[in-house]
Amino acid sequence: MPMVLLQCDKDIPEREKHIYLKVDGEDTRSFLPISNAPTIPGTLSERGCSFCGAKLVIGGVLKDTIQMIHGPIGCAYDTWHTKRYPSDNGHFQMKYVWSTDMKESHIVFGGEKRLEKSMHEAFDEMPHIKRMIVYTTCPTALIGDDIKAVAKKVMEARPDVDVFTCECPGFAGVSQSKGHHVLNIGWVNEKVGTVEPEITSKYTINFIGDYNIQGDSQLLQQYWDRLGIQVIAHFTGNANYDDLRAMHRAQLNVVNCARSAGYIANELKKRYGIPRLDIDSWGFNYMAEGIRKICAFFGIEEKGEALIAEEYAKWKPKLDWYKERLTGTKMAIWTGGPRLWHWTKSVEDDLGVKVVAMSSKFGHQEDFEKVIARGDSGTYYIDDGNELEFFEIIELVKPDVIFTGPRVGELVKKLHIPYVNGHAYHNGPYMGFEGFVNLARDMYNAVHNPLLKLAATDIREPKQTPVKEAAE
Amino acid sequence: MGCEISTRERAGIINPMYDCQPAGAQYAGIGIKDCIPLVHGGQGCTMFVRLLFAQHFKENFDIASTSLHEDSAVFGGHKRIEDGVMVLAQRYPDLRVIPLITTCSTEVIGDDIEGTIHRCNLALKKEFPGRKIHVVPVHTPSFKNSQVGGYSECMLSIIKSLTSAKAAPSGKLNLFPGWVNPGDVVLLKRYLSEMGVDGTVFMDTEDFDSPMLPDKSIHTHGRTTVEDIQGSANAMASIALARYESAAAAQYLKTEFDVPYTLAQTPYGIGNTDAMLQTISQITGKPIPDSLIKERGVALDALQDLAHMFFADKRVALYGHPDLVIGLAQFCLEVELKPVLLLLGDDNSRYKKDPRILEMKKTVDWDMEVFCNADLWELEKRAKDPDTKIDLILGHSKGRYVAIDHNIPMVRVGFPTFDRAGLYRQPTMGYQGAMLLGESIANTLFAHMEFNKDREWLLNTW
Amino acid sequence: MSTEKIDQLFNYVQERCLWQFFSRSWDRQENLDGILKAATELLTGKDPARETPMDRLFYADAKIMVQDFKARFPWLEEAGAAQIRDLMHGLKDRLSEIAITGSLNHELNHTLY
Repeated sequence: MPMVLLQCDKDIPEREKHIYLKVDGEDTRSFLPISNAPTIPGTLSERGCSFCGAKLVIGGVLKDTIQMIHGPIGCAYDTWHTKRYPSDNGHFQMKYVWSTDMKESHIVFGGEKRLEKSMHEAFDEMPHIKRMIVYTTCPTALIGDDIKAVAKKVMEARPDVDVFTCECPGFAGVSQSKGHHVLNIGWVNEKVGTVEPEITSKYTINFIGDYNIQGDSQLLQQYWDRLGIQVIAHFTGNANYDDLRAMHRAQLNVVNCARSAGYIANELKKRYGIPRLDIDSWGFNYMAEGIRKICAFFGIEEKGEALIAEEYAKWKPKLDWYKERLTGTKMAIWTGGPRLWHWTKSVEDDLGVKVVAMSSKFGHQEDFEKVIARGDSGTYYIDDGNELEFFEIIELVKPDVIFTGPRVGELVKKLHIPYVNGHAYHNGPYMGFEGFVNLARDMYNAVHNPLLKLAATDIREPKQTPVKEAAE
Repeated sequence: MGCEISTRERAGIINPMYDCQPAGAQYAGIGIKDCIPLVHGGQGCTMFVRLLFAQHFKENFDIASTSLHEDSAVFGGHKRIEDGVMVLAQRYPDLRVIPLITTCSTEVIGDDIEGTIHRCNLALKKEFPGRKIHVVPVHTPSFKNSQVGGYSECMLSIIKSLTSAKAAPSGKLNLFPGWVNPGDVVLLKRYLSEMGVDGTVFMDTEDFDSPMLPDKSIHTHGRTTVEDIQGSANAMASIALARYESAAAAQYLKTEFDVPYTLAQTPYGIGNTDAMLQTISQITGKPIPDSLIKERGVALDALQDLAHMFFADKRVALYGHPDLVIGLAQFCLEVELKPVLLLLGDDNSRYKKDPRILEMKKTVDWDMEVFCNADLWELEKRAKDPDTKIDLILGHSKGRYVAIDHNIPMVRVGFPTFDRAGLYRQPTMGYQGAMLLGESIANTLFAHMEFNKDREWLLNTW
Repeated sequence: MSTEKIDQLFNYVQERCLWQFFSRSWDRQENLDGILKAATELLTGKDPARETPMDRLFYADAKIMVQDFKARFPWLEEAGAAQIRDLMHGLKDRLSEIAITGSLNHELNHTLY
């Protein structure tokens, strides 16, 4: 069974190239959805823009850095209070956002002076903060403001500050993905190698592509601490700006999100010879495998086994309690991209859950190779799914729970399908052993929510079993 | 002593109070039935605004994007508008209105919106003979104004585009509340009905609070129809309740179709609600019914228990939409709360001359600051400043950390209020709204007293 | 018979190993060469090199894979060194075809990351 043209797509037949239904015996040599391709206007696509891929996903996670957004106010407003990535310093990165508040006259006459003034003001208002990332947006890119020159000027005037610039207007690329790329490559070009870290362990890694969603990075950090492994930089969960400048000194790059941060891992391999090890941080089996590989790399296998044994003893019984009750649950995953392949097999192996449909907003074909290799037959694999497609797919596969964002969650609620926040989690963290129990718990509580049965009840219909008369 | 009006001197903003114009335009657009706004710009301009609405209303709203990519930024985005319009028309057979909302990027590129719409209309006519889809140009570059102006601009553009000629008088009243919650719309409709006035609320967002039903049908959409909008030109009169959000549309109907127009007090608090009802009564000749006199009395009765015992001399900071902030400041004065800081979040120069602010300037005998073009950093700086001493914050959820970090009681009001449950359902307008807000303020102060062990025993016997 | 065994190994790798799907064809080739070489050595009782960082990376990936192979496919215990080399050679061909030569991924041969 090849690619699928859904009913709702009959007027946009090119969508057929983006939706695949896997059948036994097929593989990705025959069918691979087109992805990272231009969005069809008016489809109600779920995609965001390149700017948000850089600012909201990666740069904005840094806990000691001013995020100066050079543009009109909306780009700042919209990428603030839309993520759940705490930090151990009071969540500075979630509390503040900065904008140059570009107005018409600045568009006409150029916004560089305004940017310079805003940068100085930001440092003046928060004198303890010495690091900044400046982002372009659509209009400031179109008028050609030279943000690099301005950053240089500000750094000359303030020797104790460091500024990184990221030129990622929203119209660049076709989705968030382009912004990931711009930030990755810019960072390795301009900032890696400019700070020497203090080495405190024989074993050093960078942990790349996890963003401390509800404390993911902090949870995994406990494992690295117990193993005696020094994490030079988390890219970028709970991280400091200067940590990322020292990434060149790690012995190993451990990559979780290969989509948003594989680029920097590749470049670090090419330029500094640091090997790249891809792991899955979600799921028991996967997490254990990742720890085993890292420990094998450093020759500290016994430590790894001890940690895994301890964690299994503590969390596996809890996980199994949920597995017993979740086995056979049908799940859909409609998220960004990588979580499709991170999760499809881990929920099956660890929880007995069957993933019946998956949609990726910004995944590339690499992501589809991974997910189709791992995923089931009879499952739909969708690139850049849109609202009408979601309705149709729900009818086809009838999922019991959907892991997706809050807005789509509100939509499927009306169809009596519970959602769990697949981006920011319901009650995470979800990574690591403890985290996967959290995911299982949230899924269990979602599919067993009594309100769903009540919602499906039409009280106008006669009852199945008549109520006994009191007199009887 | 007295009221001072000042303006932000910093160039940059730290923590904005408002989103940009296209966000406001999208909010106005979703109030229409069988309508999907099409935002001409980068995808983030739509995706995040949809998320924002979902956060506030806990509902999904359909808004489309032309998905501007790099080639359009270089060669123009006309084709993407045409494609977007046709794709929407093909896949949504009930669709009747497409507000085409521009953004900063497409205004800078200079896409010919009106010309492209003309081509869209020809294509639509050809492919869908007998089906009328209104494609409405809405120019909302993000570098002008804010979500407040964007809302106003979209309302105006929709009225302009959909009304054509005056037909037979309908005897109806146009009511333009501005950017309010479904709870306010329900209240205003109830007031009209209790007064026996045949009126239309623009936009009717009652169903932004929509049910889970046994048949799984989805009813989350605006209720204002194309006919309602077209009919606005035949109304007996228009009343605008928000100077900065809805006056422009009502003014247009007056200029173009001689529909008499009154800018009423934004009905926050008792006095402002009185004034609105009296205006409606004067225009329509319908008396204010006993039911509303009773509702007014119940609200006064409730607030009377709170004002001079708990509210008096409490120093309040307010921020949010200008008509809301000014209206709530007036409400504060009614219940003896002391507004000391009013933050208005864009560069609209008219705020300084707002008669309501000038009136307060005359009457307040304490230090009060009206800060224009403000950001929430100004609020935070004052929250840190022991001299300002803020006892209560009234504002939306984007300022939540100022309250949390400085241990200041805060009541969520306005848009967005995503960190509290169900607020969109409650009216803030009208007598009922004033009462609910007053009680919410009281309960917030009470909880604060208890958790901070600040004379919590006062309530032992209240 | 040997095709069936290669199928089993191949299915395991497809399902579990992210290293087959690195961003570019040369990265995939490098992983295939390095990891399958180390795995063959481990399966035939040799000790793979662990001199360079890349050696250690291949060793780490190979070690875990070989452990899983042994746990899942008991027939491996009985296979001789020559048969193992053949099997691993066959596995490499299959992986090389799906991940490199037969891959429909348009980005595999971009010169830049």
